[in-house]
Amino acid sequence: MYHSAKRRSSSRLMMFIIALIIFIFGLGLNLSVGASDISIIDSLKYLFVWDGSKEQLIISTLRLPRTLIGVFVGASLAVAGALMQAMTRNPLASPQIFGVNAGASLFVVASLVILPASPYSSVIFAFAGAAAGGAIVYMIASSGGMTPVKLALSGMAVHLFLSSMTQAIIILNESGEDVLYWMTGAIDGSNWQDVITIAPFSVIGIGLALVFSGSVSVLGLGDETAKGLGQNMNGIRILISLIILILSGASVAVAGPIGFVGLLVPHIVRKLIGEHYQYVLPFSALFGAILLVYADVLARWIAFPYESPVGIVTAIIGTPFFLYLARKGRNLK
Amino acid sequence: MKKTTRKQKRPLLAILILAVILIVLSVISIGIGALYISPDAVVTNLLGLDHSFEFIIQQYRLPRIILAILAGAGLAAAGAILQGVIRNPLASPDVVGISKGSGLAAMAVILIFPESPVYVLPFSAFAGAAIIAVLLLMIARKKSIQPSSLALSGIALGAVCHAGMQYMMVKFPGDVNAALIWLTGSLWGRNWEEVKLLAPWLLILFPIVCILIPKLDLMSLGDELAQGLGENANRLRFILIFTAVALAGSCVAVVGSIGFIGLLAPHIARRLTGEKAKYLLPASALIGAIILLIADTLGRGIMPPVEIPAGILTAVIGAPYFLYLLKFEARKQ
Repeated sequence: MYHSAKRRSSSRLMMFIIALIIFIFGLGLNLSVGASDISIIDSLKYLFVWDGSKEQLIISTLRLPRTLIGVFVGASLAVAGALMQAMTRNPLASPQIFGVNAGASLFVVASLVILPASPYSSVIFAFAGAAAGGAIVYMIASSGGMTPVKLALSGMAVHLFLSSMTQAIIILNESGEDVLYWMTGAIDGSNWQDVITIAPFSVIGIGLALVFSGSVSVLGLGDETAKGLGQNMNGIRILISLIILILSGASVAVAGPIGFVGLLVPHIVRKLIGEHYQYVLPFSALFGAILLVYADVLARWIAFPYESPVGIVTAIIGTPFFLYLARKGRNLK
Repeated sequence: MKKTTRKQKRPLLAILILAVILIVLSVISIGIGALYISPDAVVTNLLGLDHSFEFIIQQYRLPRIILAILAGAGLAAAGAILQGVIRNPLASPDVVGISKGSGLAAMAVILIFPESPVYVLPFSAFAGAAIIAVLLLMIARKKSIQPSSLALSGIALGAVCHAGMQYMMVKFPGDVNAALIWLTGSLWGRNWEEVKLLAPWLLILFPIVCILIPKLDLMSLGDELAQGLGENANRLRFILIFTAVALAGSCVAVVGSIGFIGLLAPHIARRLTGEKAKYLLPASALIGAIILLIADTLGRGIMPPVEIPAGILTAVIGAPYFLYLLKFEARKQ
């Protein structure tokens, strides 16, 4: 017993180290790939050594903020997805399926039209929209037991509804393509202001999630067990919902609605390291960052030299996985 | 006997009323737009007694209205057939991703081969729809097409096609309006060209549907009964799905992937006429035509000269109804 626990923790450590290496390599790759070719070693070197060259300027003003946005958004979305899946005990729960992304997008686009653009106001609107979208889907899908199918269908309908309203706003204001581009989920235009906008929310949200990861594990066991263990269920639910809103709202505000990260990552993590949320949450953050950083590299390649929105890449990666889940979900019932 | 007659629906009367509504709506719809034309002026113009608005009516409004009626009817009929064959109330070209597939194929042809003749369009759209349908049947396994796995797989395939369309939009940046036509579906700028494109397809397909109507009733009884009555259930299913895919594909080729019509029209029709295919199909087609006509008219009329794509309006109207259906179905179970 003791032995196997020790072996598990050492294998987790190994996994963490491997993931970290992949992550750092991804960062280097992300910094080096692009219209101007810079080697991975050089690009990592430029982070620490200042020599004022053109390459360094490209990295520090264009690529580094973008890479950091990828890290923050990927980690935030993945943790939000893991929390959602724990809370609803539904394998398909994720910011995209739950209408949270679409709600946040609608409110952000509406706010851009009504108010002059300011990064913080759009974050606040994103929170409100995320809350609205999530609440609608939750209300509809949870009546009479939330099955994956019902969640997916009501999420899809709410998503179509909200995104149609968003498109209507875009058309009525004749604000053009950049908004459409943003709506597919893109991080290639990111700058330091975006990093400053998302970083506090992302750090606080993930930090809180890690602090309460024990309660999240208990929540995943179901209502009766949790009550038996003396947990205040409603308090925890409200707290976790808030964390989810902070994480996904801030992500949408800076990067647009990027899909499938929150769905995909927690499943992979649980498969690799088990159900304990003390481990699932930090690993989800790391894997989410990895996924988005590599997806961003791919996004630069598929239509080279043009940039593509990273949301397209995550959708293409995520769909086969979603299909797999859908098939598995059938057997689970 | 009397008890049943009181409850019995009057399908023929319902179809007649729907047809009258459609005609009245068409006349009103022709009048609405940047320049308002009163209904009696529309009628006198159409009858050739007056020529004052001939150019606007003949060249702009009439083809558009004909197209709305044809496409709405086609999409709704496709939905009714799919729901009958798959015996799943949620099956419809849009929910199962067929609309998105044909939208993607049509968009690809238009953007990548702008030189290609127009009549290629329906074929490519049909090919896209067929690919999605085949994938779907493969994933959902032929023997046990369960509602849940079918809907989930369809949502996933739809998502990947949507991502593909967004990629096209980014790769070939152009008019935002044109891009939205393919993403949401719209009748913007459609004229006799497109009517000529769609009409022959429907002229071939609608008679085929009429021949297939009695078979559809058989299929809804279940495979065993259909087989017992001397039908090859698998072949019949294939023919019916093929017809539905062709209907949906040819409509999407012309008006884009307009959502919710194929889903909602058969549901509303079923309430009015009951389950019998010989009433259900015509009623669905009429209701589909009415929905698309209303959506298009509203889109033109709300704030001219800006037009809201019809697909946005069908989603805004259709999604809440779909959610209501979901909730209602849940309560029944």
